[in-house]
Amino acid sequence: MSKTVLELKNISKSFFGIAALKNVEFSVKEGQVISLIGENGAGKSTLMNIIGGVLKPDGGEMKLQDQNYIPNTPKDAAEAGIEFIHQELNLFPNLSIADNMFITKFPKVSQTPIIDKANIRNHTKEMLQAVDLKVSPDTLVENLSPGERQLVEIAKAISSDPQILIFDEPTTSLTAKETERLFELINSLRTRGKAIIYISHILADVMNISDEIVVLRDGQVTDKGLKKDFTIDRMICSMVGRDIKQLYPERKSQPTDEIALKLENVSQPGTVHNISFELNKGEVLGIFGLMGSGRSELARIIFGLDPHETGKISIDGDKVCGISPKNSIENKLAFVTENRREEGLLMDVSIAENMGLVTLTKYASKLTKVIKKTSLYDQVKKVGELLKLKSGDIEKYPPKSLSGGNQQKVVIGKWLMTSPKVLIVDEPTRGIDVGAKYEVYSIINDLAAQGTGVLMISSELEELMGTCDRILVMNKGEIISEFSKTGFTQKNIMRAAFRQDAV
Amino acid sequence: MIGGISLKLEEKQITNKNTSSFAEKSKYTLKKIFVSEYFILYLSLAYFFILVPFVPGLASASNIMNLFSNMWPMLTIAIGQTIVLIVAGIDLSQTATLGITSIIGAMVMSTGIDPALLETSPLWGWFITEQGGVLAGTSMAIPIGIVIMLTVGTLIGWFNGIAIAKFKITAFMVTLVSQMFFGALAIYLSTSQNIMNLPKAFSAIGTEGIGIIPFSLVIAVVLGIVAHIILSSTVLGRWLYSTGTNIKSSIVSGVPTDKVVIFAYMFSGFCTSVGAILYSARLGMGRPTLGDNMLMDIIGATVIGGTSMFGGKGKVLWTVFGVFFFVLLSNTLNLLNLSYFTINIVKGAIIVVAAFIDVTRTRIIAKGL
Amino acid sequence: MKDTVNKLLLTLLKNTPIMLFIVIFILFGILSPKFFSYTNFENIATQASYVGIIAVGMTFILLTGGIDLSVGSIMYVSAATTGVLIAKGMPIPIALCLALLIGLVFGAVNAFAIVKLKILPFVVTLSTMVAGRGVGLSITESRSIMLPDTITKIGSTRIIGIPLPIIIFAIVVGVAYIILAKTTLGRQIYATGNDVEAAKKAGINTDKILFTIYILSGLFAALGGIISVAQLGNINAGFGSGDEFDAIAAAVLGGTSLFGGVGGVLPGTVIGTVLIQMIQAGLVYLQVNLYIQPIISAGIIFLAVFLDSIRDAKINKMERRKIRTEQAPASAK
Repeated sequence: MSKTVLELKNISKSFFGIAALKNVEFSVKEGQVISLIGENGAGKSTLMNIIGGVLKPDGGEMKLQDQNYIPNTPKDAAEAGIEFIHQELNLFPNLSIADNMFITKFPKVSQTPIIDKANIRNHTKEMLQAVDLKVSPDTLVENLSPGERQLVEIAKAISSDPQILIFDEPTTSLTAKETERLFELINSLRTRGKAIIYISHILADVMNISDEIVVLRDGQVTDKGLKKDFTIDRMICSMVGRDIKQLYPERKSQPTDEIALKLENVSQPGTVHNISFELNKGEVLGIFGLMGSGRSELARIIFGLDPHETGKISIDGDKVCGISPKNSIENKLAFVTENRREEGLLMDVSIAENMGLVTLTKYASKLTKVIKKTSLYDQVKKVGELLKLKSGDIEKYPPKSLSGGNQQKVVIGKWLMTSPKVLIVDEPTRGIDVGAKYEVYSIINDLAAQGTGVLMISSELEELMGTCDRILVMNKGEIISEFSKTGFTQKNIMRAAFRQDAV
Repeated sequence: MIGGISLKLEEKQITNKNTSSFAEKSKYTLKKIFVSEYFILYLSLAYFFILVPFVPGLASASNIMNLFSNMWPMLTIAIGQTIVLIVAGIDLSQTATLGITSIIGAMVMSTGIDPALLETSPLWGWFITEQGGVLAGTSMAIPIGIVIMLTVGTLIGWFNGIAIAKFKITAFMVTLVSQMFFGALAIYLSTSQNIMNLPKAFSAIGTEGIGIIPFSLVIAVVLGIVAHIILSSTVLGRWLYSTGTNIKSSIVSGVPTDKVVIFAYMFSGFCTSVGAILYSARLGMGRPTLGDNMLMDIIGATVIGGTSMFGGKGKVLWTVFGVFFFVLLSNTLNLLNLSYFTINIVKGAIIVVAAFIDVTRTRIIAKGL
Repeated sequence: MKDTVNKLLLTLLKNTPIMLFIVIFILFGILSPKFFSYTNFENIATQASYVGIIAVGMTFILLTGGIDLSVGSIMYVSAATTGVLIAKGMPIPIALCLALLIGLVFGAVNAFAIVKLKILPFVVTLSTMVAGRGVGLSITESRSIMLPDTITKIGSTRIIGIPLPIIIFAIVVGVAYIILAKTTLGRQIYATGNDVEAAKKAGINTDKILFTIYILSGLFAALGGIISVAQLGNINAGFGSGDEFDAIAAAVLGGTSLFGGVGGVLPGTVIGTVLIQMIQAGLVYLQVNLYIQPIISAGIIFLAVFLDSIRDAKINKMERRKIRTEQAPASAK
């Protein structure tokens, strides 16, 4: 029987009188991967912040190697042998890998303040070997892919030989291949006797990597047990507290024969090559590809954010698109970008302003361009209700105050204000919880039922299979195969996506 | 009976509540004043009334007139700066714009120029002569002169805007370089001399008015109202804020961000040339160094009013308060007969204090009352 | 083949400041043969040294994403104090040390307001700029101050044949280069400039770093003030005013970003400083009208900034084209 490393007893924490954690208990043993799952707001990050010394619990105790563990600062946690690998990477892209590794603890050339470059270079090389990353220690981090950055972060974390490693959503920005590599690494850490806490939304990953699973809901542990006793369904039930018969709502309608969006031989050197497809009205068309396959770049080209050199993009028959966002909006094309914080929302501006931004001119007097605020806000409210947006006063509160799922609804709502004929959604459910995902799928379904053509881009194959009528697979900027609903199998699509790697 | 008792109890509770909350209530009111968007106005007024007993002549009609007449030209320029700050930019070229529009306007309108001073100007002999500016004495001199001033100012803004929006050069560098360029150009064209002998009718803009209401007040207020309406009620206003808040999101949402940014700088150039008209009219001359040492006052006043240097936050009304505060400050320091250097030191200290108050306010607002 | 061409082009583009420097250098040489003389180069370097020293301090500040508008006033106050004290008979070394101390105190005041009161660097240094000018004026009583020959002698001293200002400039650049490239402080400055919050999370004491760099900037400004006054021999009321913008322009021309995290003193700021000085000297050599000189300088600086922005766009574009040329599928973005 392996030794318990970290034990949490009766941990409670509340903010402004609202309980965030209630009597949470679990423990991690040596050589064990324990997965912590739960919807956004379930209390995972609060719990991690308590373990990491960022927050202090109101009640309960923690034991590390049978000793009382009371961290006051993140530094205490690090010194006690607990390392975090955060979701947002804490690397400085303008510095080299080696500099990043030693940023707070540079070794000096004897007696001088000069950094011992040879020393850090050699050490970094060793550290990179440990995660099997073959790049020079002098490479600037900005030149690394997200996956490689993740590996650097892990290399940094394990270099201090911690007892406990906590991974917070490590795979969201990784390709399938990189994920595999990460899991190999986690497995080897497990064999070396490390205790690992793994936090994720991707339940398939959780099934893959864990020994034990702990489910949090509303600050309480609602389910706990060995992985082998768990199924994905059980995880979802425990997370959402209700039975979701399916992860994906049933499609209510069939695609029509009318073409909504048409691409003919669209190419942009270096980005996409010879892309042709048709999206029908009422159809949900998926585009699947690994990171770097050009899927998001294609979406930006269609919407006119990036240029294309040759080919034709047309919407609704003969209207040419792909020129500029303004032109696309006029032609009733809408685009929910993959990054809502950076490209979707004005985080500090009211929800109503956010939702009205695209359609301002429609609600302004033709002559004076003065906005008819009442009619604009009435429409905003209607759309908000339609999307079941959960928020405070939309004229007052900014998206910053909302959960990820509701933020995404604001972005979608902004586009619904234009009553689009074609909606492009890029990674629409990234970083939002299971319940909100379901709602987003339902919205997509409803739109399709009303005749909107939906182009859905995702790196989660399962959600495409659950939502789409057809799936196109992209690889290296080209569409390499097409699957219709009857031909959806995970294996075939994945194989297509990886095709070039096999050659 | 039972009802009576319970009523009494309730009454007692209410009075209790009242007494215990009186201190809290006043604290709450103070806090509310502190975080109110009128705070700088309250602060200015408090400052004014506290100083009245100590500063002779502060509350006299002539001083108050003087105070306001200093305010209007500065306000017009600060309004332009406000709009530029809202789109997350900065306009350092305003001072040079003041100088160059001032001398160009004067060179159109002046009715007599001393050859001893300006003979070496590249404009001598064809644009300006001993008889004055190019349109000297004609009936159209003043309107055309004004139009030219406004056009030059707006064009400088357009140039800044193009460089920033289309060529993606940082606003700080673009406007810094155009400050150097147009400042030097103004000196070159005027050989560093003031252009005198402006027509009386032009000077009247800066010195006279309708009854007791000066023309400069009317002009500044009209400009302020136009800017306020643009910002608060029009599509363009929303675009200005959204571009300043998050330009990427704005582009995706179809906001013509390039045009919005160019507009902001053109508007700033326009406002600055209005300021140049008011100043030149008041001085009765065109002065190439008109804007020297003014930049920091303008940006300081705008920022103290509450407009953020990070973009997306700002109001014309706030700038009115900020400018009022600044003008009042200079006025009182002058009346106290302080030396120029003491005025500088006090001004510097007050900018920091005001900024610190702003930081504290923002923190309180973020926390909620 | 195409790859090597691209790589070459990229290297060229990434070094525009140097390319521009060379082009303008050759251009002036062709227009005025006298331009290519050792004395001329020495003059340019000597005149560049005091702005250069300030620009080095400014580079530190810009690297953290801050700005220091007060350097011109710091120059004035410290130089004026030295001048007045020396005129009153204080021994020169002590007066010079005092001048540096004044720079340090100004820097510390800036740092305190920025770090502890959390006021924007622009606003803080704006107010120390205004207030500093006032302090300087009160010290000099708004008069121009002549300095004894002993001071100007320092300005024209030569060591192994090289003017002292150039030597001091070189030492400052050397020290700054080592700090930035080879010490923990330097690396942490870059990290802070990239993202303060992330730097804090990583355990970097960002407050300490900001304190250090604003003090350094104040110190360098005072040093620049001393050197400038040793060259000029007198201090008037406008001494140092506008130099803050020259220093910023020099740093930015040298490739340091106003947003932090990118840039450096060597070759960066040095090239930027010398470039500006060379343009001004070149125009004097060409006997350009005194009034036109600043117009042309401004024009050339604009051109430099403009080319720089085109370069950035080009580099971005070249580095974006990756999806279909590279083997690894994970290298987009």
